[in-house]
Amino acid sequence: MQYRQVQMIGGKFHSAVRGLATDSRGWLYAAGDSRIQVFDPAGALQRQWTTPRPPHSVAVAGDGSVYVGQEARIDIFDASGKPVRAWTNLGILGPVTALGFVGNSVLAADAADRAIRRFDLTGRFLNHIGKNNPVNGFLIPNGVLDFAVDAHGVIHAANPGKHRVERYSPAGDLLGHIGKFDGNDPAGFTGCCNPTNLAVSDRIYVTEKAVPRAKAYDFSGKLLAVIASSVFDPNVKNMSIAAAPRGRVYVVDTVKLAILAFEPVAP
Amino acid sequence: MSGLTRRALLGTAVRGTVLATMGGGAAFLVQKAHGQVVWQVDAARCINSRLGEAGVEACNLCTTECVVALSAVRAVNEYSKCGRCNICPAYFNITSAVDDLGLPSEKLCPRDAIERKPIGKVDPEDPANNFYEYIIDEVKCDGCGKCAIKCKEPLGLGSIVLKVRYDKCVNCNRCAISEKCPKDALQQLPVGQALR
Repeated sequence: MQYRQVQMIGGKFHSAVRGLATDSRGWLYAAGDSRIQVFDPAGALQRQWTTPRPPHSVAVAGDGSVYVGQEARIDIFDASGKPVRAWTNLGILGPVTALGFVGNSVLAADAADRAIRRFDLTGRFLNHIGKNNPVNGFLIPNGVLDFAVDAHGVIHAANPGKHRVERYSPAGDLLGHIGKFDGNDPAGFTGCCNPTNLAVSDRIYVTEKAVPRAKAYDFSGKLLAVIASSVFDPNVKNMSIAAAPRGRVYVVDTVKLAILAFEPVAP
Repeated sequence: MSGLTRRALLGTAVRGTVLATMGGGAAFLVQKAHGQVVWQVDAARCINSRLGEAGVEACNLCTTECVVALSAVRAVNEYSKCGRCNICPAYFNITSAVDDLGLPSEKLCPRDAIERKPIGKVDPEDPANNFYEYIIDEVKCDGCGKCAIKCKEPLGLGSIVLKVRYDKCVNCNRCAISEKCPKDALQQLPVGQALR
């Protein structure tokens, strides 16, 4: 399987692009600087709005509302970008570097405490996921904890210090993992701590730093494709990745401050 | 130092102790007079540690040019920045074959000057679950920079850098390393600034 670059969104960010998400139509939501920018599938900016603090992550709920993770808070906007409510007094959140949904609950990655927090839709804390599980929990030297939820409600979380993608139940049970260290075989995760970021649709997409790569795996851990590598600046790290319909994958180049889109090449 | 107040002297000593703990041998600086200058490596200039220099080979001029045996420049691990990774690219040759434990089979340091030991809650069954401390053996290290360049961002976190060890440096007026350093990374600093 091979991918080709089909789009690059550049010149829209000044200092940082940290988080990506897509909605059911395939529109792209980018969290960077101190705002959210929304792009249609052609790469045209459709709307944008500011956030109270520099955003680390963004996710779009089934009803179209947009959740934005920041330092110690989550802000919720309607689909047009109008503020709906903010969760600011949770008391158990550091930098929220990933967000997601499973059933009627909201998941937030706390990169300071190295745990995924599960809340109900009112913001009431339910349980931790991955904290100290099985030993020492998530090892994230890069300062980012990233996860995604598949169609069956399984949570896939990057554990870069262990060179794994781990699977968790919403209750916090460790179900298994894929991946291992290898400094030569592209099927492995190289360096001190990879993968740093991931997305899930019908397969698992990950990004790595040094050497920067975006890759696709099936759910058994078999490498399907190295989506791209040399197109990224060699000094990138923590490249957020998002999956869209028809196999499209968006990846952030954190040095060029650009979003690159890739699609599989028809066999 | 005679002009210092007791409070300033204590502050200076505390800072010196902190730097010494980092491996800087800075206690020697406390004994030097303020106003005197010392040599130090500017990490922002050093090719082995400065950002934006991906894919270059390690520079070992600090080893080959220094008049001090082995070199007055040694690698220092600033623990506050260290990720305590299972697989540290400054410790392992990460492109060597993977062994039965899932670890690279070769070390990186040609002088075996880095010790790796698990810390905190240790899982004896799976090394990937543990945190590790990486301790540089000052006696063995010759400042070749191989570990520093592999620890540099984005491959590592930049915790290992090269530093002039003040207890080893003879403080030449014209540092032989600085004469050859292509990045002009050896800088003379006033003692007070070096302590900061």
